[in-house]
Amino acid sequence: MDVTVTCKDVMSHICDSLGEELQSPKCIAIRSHMDSCDCCKNYFDSVEKTIGFYRDYKIVMPEEAHDRLMKYLDMCDCDPVGQE
Amino acid sequence: MNETELIEAAKAGDRNALGRLIKQYEQTVYNFAFKICRDREKAENTMQETFLSMVKSLHQFDGNSKLSTWLYRIVSNHCLMQARYSNKYQFVDVETEDSLFDDRYLSDSSKIPWKEFENNELRAILDKAISKLAPDYRVVFLLRDVEQLSTEETAEATNLSVAAVKSRLHRARAFLRNELEKEMSK
Repeated sequence: MDVTVTCKDVMSHICDSLGEELQSPKCIAIRSHMDSCDCCKNYFDSVEKTIGFYRDYKIVMPEEAHDRLMKYLDMCDCDPVGQE
Repeated sequence: MNETELIEAAKAGDRNALGRLIKQYEQTVYNFAFKICRDREKAENTMQETFLSMVKSLHQFDGNSKLSTWLYRIVSNHCLMQARYSNKYQFVDVETEDSLFDDRYLSDSSKIPWKEFENNELRAILDKAISKLAPDYRVVFLLRDVEQLSTEETAEATNLSVAAVKSRLHRARAFLRNELEKEMSK
């Protein structure tokens, strides 16, 4: 079955099902459209990069926060390492 | 001990096993809470409340989902409660934002100077962009795309339907991508 898609359909679809290998006629048409449309390919890359940046953005918990947590829970007597 | 054994031991009253589970997940919970709250003090408070809830209700954990999914549900609820309690900001209403998929974003994609940004600069841009997004959308985006839970696990952790998760994710992705583009192209 032939399905015609526009760039707008592709943008919406990219944000809808990024990275999912769906096999519906529309998904296949969208992948085929992206193979020949640089604008949509760039848009796909930009959404993937955006997500990648957020994924790499890690905040390290301060060491004292663990002690404060165990104190808050009244568990300072616990020895988590002993369970390794 | 593996995680299942640790959970069973903790349920049976083994405080060291409970401590080990907490140690195992504290960084994950803190990091997630920070990304929603955007504030270290609030993130630490949320982490403490999350583990207090865990300690109180671990006996109700039935093992049908992963412990991490169960913890994400608790931390998400605490984050959203805190956001509603201290909601003094106006967030962008992406639900009615018709221009999220405007054609101009297509033509502009190739012009984004991704490589020109230093880490600190990029973090500031990411912070600014995500802080404009309502916490309900942030939670879905972070669980699904950043923590890489499945759509079904995200739905379970947020008490939303799969369709609602997809709809929020779809709009959050487009919004954040467009915000980054706007900031980076200035």
